[in-house]
Amino acid sequence: MDYSNLRRQIISMKKSLFDQGYLDEQFNQLEELQDDSSPNFVEEVVALFFKDSSRLLTNIERALEKYPQDFYRLDSLAHQFKGSGSSIGALRMKNECSMFKAHCSDRNLEGCRRSLQKMKREHATLKQKLETYFQLLRQVGPRERAVNSWK
Amino acid sequence: MAGAAAKERRVIRVLLVEDEEIHRVRARALLRDAAGGVELGEAGNGAEAVRRVREGGAYDLILTDRQMPVMDGHEATRQIRALGVTTPIVGLSSDSLAADADAFIKAGADDFTPKPLSKEKLNRILAKFNLA
Repeated sequence: MDYSNLRRQIISMKKSLFDQGYLDEQFNQLEELQDDSSPNFVEEVVALFFKDSSRLLTNIERALEKYPQDFYRLDSLAHQFKGSGSSIGALRMKNECSMFKAHCSDRNLEGCRRSLQKMKREHATLKQKLETYFQLLRQVGPRERAVNSWK
Repeated sequence: MAGAAAKERRVIRVLLVEDEEIHRVRARALLRDAAGGVELGEAGNGAEAVRRVREGGAYDLILTDRQMPVMDGHEATRQIRALGVTTPIVGLSSDSLAADADAFIKAGADDFTPKPLSKEKLNRILAKFNLA
Protein backbone atom coordinates (compact mmCIF):
# COMPACT_ATOMS: atom_id res chain seq x y z
CA MET A 1 0.00 0.00 0.00
CA ASP A 2 1.31 3.45 -0.90
CA TYR A 3 1.24 5.01 2.55
CA SER A 4 2.98 8.20 1.55
CA ASN A 5 0.33 8.90 -1.07
CA LEU A 6 -2.43 8.11 1.42
CA ARG A 7 -0.82 10.39 3.99
CA ARG A 8 -0.69 13.18 1.43
CA GLN A 9 -4.37 12.67 0.64
CA ILE A 10 -5.26 12.74 4.33
CA ILE A 11 -3.26 15.89 5.01
CA SER A 12 -4.69 17.56 1.91
CA MET A 13 -8.22 16.59 2.82
CA LYS A 14 -7.88 17.83 6.38
CA LYS A 15 -6.37 21.11 5.20
CA SER A 16 -9.26 21.54 2.81
CA LEU A 17 -11.80 20.94 5.59
CA PHE A 18 -10.16 23.70 7.60
CA ASP A 19 -9.61 26.09 4.69
CA GLN A 20 -13.25 25.81 3.60
CA GLY A 21 -14.42 26.49 7.13
CA TYR A 22 -16.00 23.11 7.81
CA LEU A 23 -13.74 22.49 10.79
CA ASP A 24 -11.93 24.62 13.35
CA GLU A 25 -9.23 24.18 15.97
CA GLN A 26 -11.53 22.11 18.22
CA PHE A 27 -11.15 19.23 15.76
CA ASN A 28 -7.37 19.33 16.28
CA GLN A 29 -7.93 19.34 20.03
CA LEU A 30 -10.11 16.28 19.65
CA GLU A 31 -7.37 14.51 17.69
CA GLU A 32 -4.89 15.37 20.44
CA LEU A 33 -7.04 13.44 22.90
CA GLN A 34 -6.72 10.27 20.81
CA ASP A 35 -4.02 7.85 21.91
CA ASP A 36 -3.16 4.17 22.00
CA SER A 37 -5.71 3.52 24.74
CA SER A 38 -8.47 5.07 22.63
CA PRO A 39 -7.29 4.73 19.01
CA ASN A 40 -10.72 5.47 17.50
CA PHE A 41 -11.64 8.28 19.85
CA VAL A 42 -12.14 10.96 17.21
CA GLU A 43 -14.26 8.79 14.96
CA GLU A 44 -16.37 7.70 17.95
CA VAL A 45 -16.98 11.28 19.07
CA VAL A 46 -17.83 12.34 15.53
CA ALA A 47 -20.25 9.41 15.26
CA LEU A 48 -21.88 10.59 18.50
CA PHE A 49 -22.24 14.05 17.00
CA PHE A 50 -23.96 12.76 13.87
CA LYS A 51 -26.28 10.57 15.93
CA ASP A 52 -27.24 13.52 18.17
CA SER A 53 -27.48 16.01 15.37
CA SER A 54 -29.68 13.85 13.15
CA ARG A 55 -32.12 13.53 16.02
CA LEU A 56 -31.96 17.26 16.72
CA LEU A 57 -32.59 18.17 13.09
CA THR A 58 -35.68 15.96 13.10
CA ASN A 59 -36.89 17.51 16.35
CA ILE A 60 -36.30 21.04 15.05
CA GLU A 61 -38.21 20.24 11.87
CA ARG A 62 -41.16 18.85 13.83
CA ALA A 63 -41.13 21.81 16.21
CA LEU A 64 -41.21 24.23 13.27
CA GLU A 65 -44.29 22.51 11.87
CA LYS A 66 -46.25 22.96 15.08
CA TYR A 67 -48.51 25.93 15.54
CA PRO A 68 -48.04 28.15 17.38
CA GLN A 69 -44.28 27.76 17.22
CA ASP A 70 -42.48 27.41 20.50
CA PHE A 71 -39.44 29.59 19.84
CA TYR A 72 -38.09 28.88 23.30
CA ARG A 73 -37.99 25.15 22.54
CA LEU A 74 -36.57 25.79 19.07
CA ASP A 75 -33.81 27.90 20.59
CA SER A 76 -33.10 25.20 23.14
CA LEU A 77 -32.78 22.55 20.41
CA ALA A 78 -30.49 24.79 18.38
CA HIS A 79 -28.45 25.45 21.50
CA GLN A 80 -27.89 21.73 21.97
CA PHE A 81 -26.97 21.36 18.32
CA LYS A 82 -24.53 24.25 18.51
CA GLY A 83 -22.85 22.81 21.58
CA SER A 84 -22.58 19.37 20.07
CA GLY A 85 -21.14 20.79 16.85
CA SER A 86 -18.61 22.94 18.63
CA SER A 87 -17.30 19.91 20.50
CA ILE A 88 -16.03 18.42 17.23
CA GLY A 89 -15.05 21.74 15.68
CA ALA A 90 -17.92 21.79 13.18
CA LEU A 91 -17.55 25.50 12.50
CA ARG A 92 -20.07 26.01 9.72
CA MET A 93 -22.68 24.03 11.65
CA LYS A 94 -22.01 26.08 14.76
CA ASN A 95 -22.37 29.35 12.83
CA GLU A 96 -25.61 28.26 11.21
CA CYS A 97 -26.99 27.27 14.62
CA SER A 98 -26.16 30.77 15.85
CA MET A 99 -28.10 32.20 12.89
CA PHE A 100 -31.04 29.91 13.72
CA LYS A 101 -30.98 31.05 17.35
CA ALA A 102 -30.94 34.67 16.23
CA HIS A 103 -34.07 34.00 14.13
CA CYS A 104 -35.69 32.37 17.18
CA SER A 105 -34.90 35.43 19.22
CA ASP A 106 -36.60 37.58 16.55
CA ARG A 107 -39.49 35.09 16.33
CA ASN A 108 -38.74 34.98 12.61
CA LEU A 109 -40.34 31.76 11.39
CA GLU A 110 -39.26 32.15 7.77
CA GLY A 111 -35.72 32.86 8.90
CA CYS A 112 -35.77 29.70 11.02
CA ARG A 113 -37.05 27.64 8.10
CA ARG A 114 -34.34 28.96 5.75
CA SER A 115 -31.70 28.42 8.38
CA LEU A 116 -32.88 24.85 8.98
CA GLN A 117 -32.47 24.07 5.29
CA LYS A 118 -28.90 25.38 5.42
CA MET A 119 -28.22 23.36 8.56
CA LYS A 120 -29.43 20.21 6.83
CA ARG A 121 -27.23 20.87 3.80
CA GLU A 122 -24.17 21.64 5.90
CA HIS A 123 -24.84 18.57 8.02
CA ALA A 124 -25.03 16.26 5.00
CA THR A 125 -21.90 17.74 3.43
CA LEU A 126 -19.87 17.55 6.62
CA LYS A 127 -20.98 13.96 7.21
CA GLN A 128 -19.92 12.92 3.73
CA LYS A 129 -16.55 14.67 3.97
CA LEU A 130 -15.74 13.25 7.39
CA GLU A 131 -16.78 9.75 6.33
CA THR A 132 -14.29 10.01 3.48
CA TYR A 133 -11.63 11.37 5.83
CA PHE A 134 -12.06 8.50 8.30
CA GLN A 135 -12.11 5.95 5.49
CA LEU A 136 -8.70 7.21 4.43
CA LEU A 137 -7.45 7.12 8.02
CA ARG A 138 -8.64 3.53 8.42
CA GLN A 139 -6.65 2.56 5.36
CA VAL A 140 -3.41 3.63 6.96
CA GLY A 141 -4.24 1.64 10.09
CA PRO A 142 -3.70 2.48 13.78
CA ARG A 143 0.09 2.20 13.71
CA GLU A 144 0.44 4.89 11.09
CA ARG A 145 -2.37 6.96 12.53
CA ALA A 146 -0.16 8.95 14.92
CA VAL A 147 -2.18 12.08 15.55
CA ASN A 148 0.57 14.59 15.13
CA SER A 149 1.47 13.28 11.70
CA TRP A 150 -1.66 14.83 10.28
CA LYS A 151 -1.10 18.35 11.47
CA MET B 1 18.73 19.87 50.13
CA ALA B 2 19.67 21.48 46.79
CA GLY B 3 16.88 22.59 44.53
CA ALA B 4 13.17 22.77 45.15
CA ALA B 5 11.36 19.55 45.93
CA ALA B 6 9.18 18.34 43.09
CA LYS B 7 5.59 19.38 43.66
CA GLU B 8 3.55 16.30 44.33
CA ARG B 9 0.48 16.17 42.13
CA ARG B 10 -2.48 14.71 43.93
CA VAL B 11 -5.54 12.92 42.69
CA ILE B 12 -8.45 15.32 42.54
CA ARG B 13 -12.16 14.56 42.76
CA VAL B 14 -14.23 16.21 40.08
CA LEU B 15 -17.99 16.19 39.62
CA LEU B 16 -19.02 16.69 36.01
CA VAL B 17 -22.63 17.80 35.64
CA GLU B 18 -23.60 17.35 32.00
CA ASP B 19 -26.60 15.76 30.29
CA GLU B 20 -25.12 15.25 26.83
CA GLU B 21 -22.96 12.22 26.19
CA ILE B 22 -20.75 13.91 23.60
CA HIS B 23 -19.62 16.53 26.13
CA ARG B 24 -19.11 13.90 28.82
CA VAL B 25 -16.94 11.81 26.49
CA ARG B 26 -14.79 14.80 25.63
CA ALA B 27 -14.50 15.92 29.26
CA ARG B 28 -13.57 12.41 30.40
CA ALA B 29 -10.71 12.31 27.90
CA LEU B 30 -9.50 15.75 28.97
CA LEU B 31 -9.68 14.98 32.66
CA ARG B 32 -8.00 11.59 32.26
CA ASP B 33 -4.51 13.08 32.37
CA ALA B 34 -5.19 16.13 34.50
CA ALA B 35 -3.45 16.96 37.79
CA GLY B 36 -2.10 13.82 39.48
CA GLY B 37 -5.14 11.91 38.27
CA VAL B 38 -8.86 12.48 38.52
CA GLU B 39 -11.59 10.58 40.33
CA LEU B 40 -14.49 11.57 38.16
CA GLY B 41 -18.10 11.60 39.28
CA GLU B 42 -20.84 12.36 36.79
CA ALA B 43 -24.36 13.68 37.12
CA GLY B 44 -26.79 13.87 34.21
CA ASN B 45 -28.56 16.96 35.47
CA GLY B 46 -28.51 19.54 38.21
CA ALA B 47 -30.84 17.66 40.53
CA GLU B 48 -28.60 14.61 40.47
CA ALA B 49 -25.59 16.81 41.21
CA VAL B 50 -27.30 18.37 44.23
CA ARG B 51 -28.28 14.90 45.48
CA ARG B 52 -24.69 13.62 45.17
CA VAL B 53 -23.33 16.59 47.07
CA ARG B 54 -26.08 16.42 49.71
CA GLU B 55 -25.36 12.71 50.23
CA GLY B 56 -21.81 13.53 51.21
CA GLY B 57 -19.97 13.58 47.92
CA ALA B 58 -16.79 15.54 48.56
CA TYR B 59 -15.35 17.12 45.46
CA ASP B 60 -12.40 19.37 44.74
CA LEU B 61 -14.10 20.84 41.69
CA ILE B 62 -17.58 20.87 40.16
CA LEU B 63 -17.97 21.52 36.43
CA THR B 64 -21.55 22.15 35.46
CA ASP B 65 -23.34 22.73 32.22
CA ARG B 66 -26.06 25.37 32.11
CA GLN B 67 -28.86 23.89 30.06
CA MET B 68 -29.98 20.50 31.37
CA PRO B 69 -33.30 18.77 31.91
CA VAL B 70 -34.90 18.54 35.39
CA MET B 71 -32.63 21.21 36.90
CA ASP B 72 -30.26 23.58 35.13
CA GLY B 73 -26.75 24.53 36.16
CA HIS B 74 -27.73 27.88 37.66
CA GLU B 75 -30.27 26.33 40.02
CA ALA B 76 -27.95 23.46 40.89
CA THR B 77 -25.25 25.97 41.80
CA ARG B 78 -27.67 27.90 44.01
CA GLN B 79 -28.78 24.75 45.80
CA ILE B 80 -25.24 23.45 46.30
CA ARG B 81 -24.24 26.76 47.81
CA ALA B 82 -27.32 26.71 50.03
CA LEU B 83 -25.97 23.45 51.48
CA GLY B 84 -22.93 25.40 52.67
CA VAL B 85 -20.61 23.71 50.17
CA THR B 86 -17.64 25.87 49.20
CA THR B 87 -16.16 23.59 46.51
CA PRO B 88 -15.14 25.62 43.44
CA ILE B 89 -17.93 25.51 40.86
CA VAL B 90 -17.26 26.37 37.22
CA GLY B 91 -20.18 26.95 34.89
CA LEU B 92 -20.05 25.77 31.28
CA SER B 93 -22.22 26.79 28.36
CA SER B 94 -22.20 26.64 24.59
CA ASP B 95 -23.11 30.32 24.53
CA SER B 96 -20.38 32.65 25.66
CA LEU B 97 -22.78 35.41 26.55
CA ALA B 98 -21.93 37.74 29.39
CA ALA B 99 -25.44 37.11 30.70
CA ASP B 100 -24.68 33.39 31.03
CA ALA B 101 -21.48 34.02 32.95
CA ASP B 102 -23.16 36.65 35.16
CA ALA B 103 -26.04 34.33 35.99
CA PHE B 104 -23.64 31.60 37.06
CA ILE B 105 -21.61 33.96 39.22
CA LYS B 106 -24.78 35.38 40.80
CA ALA B 107 -25.89 31.82 41.56
CA GLY B 108 -22.65 31.27 43.43
CA ALA B 109 -20.26 29.81 40.85
CA ASP B 110 -16.60 30.81 41.04
CA ASP B 111 -15.92 30.93 37.34
CA PHE B 112 -17.40 30.35 33.91
CA THR B 113 -15.97 29.01 30.68
CA PRO B 114 -17.60 28.60 27.29
CA LYS B 115 -17.81 25.07 25.87
CA PRO B 116 -16.19 23.09 24.48
CA LEU B 117 -13.81 22.40 27.32
CA SER B 118 -10.20 22.29 26.13
CA LYS B 119 -6.82 21.46 27.63
CA GLU B 120 -6.00 25.16 27.94
CA LYS B 121 -9.30 26.01 29.63
CA LEU B 122 -8.99 23.05 31.99
CA ASN B 123 -5.39 23.91 32.90
CA ARG B 124 -6.42 27.48 33.62
CA ILE B 125 -9.24 26.29 35.88
CA LEU B 126 -7.03 23.80 37.72
CA ALA B 127 -4.31 26.42 38.24
CA LYS B 128 -6.84 28.99 39.44
CA PHE B 129 -8.07 26.66 42.18
CA ASN B 130 -4.64 25.21 43.02
CA LEU B 131 -5.58 21.78 41.71
CA ALA B 132 -2.88 21.42 39.04
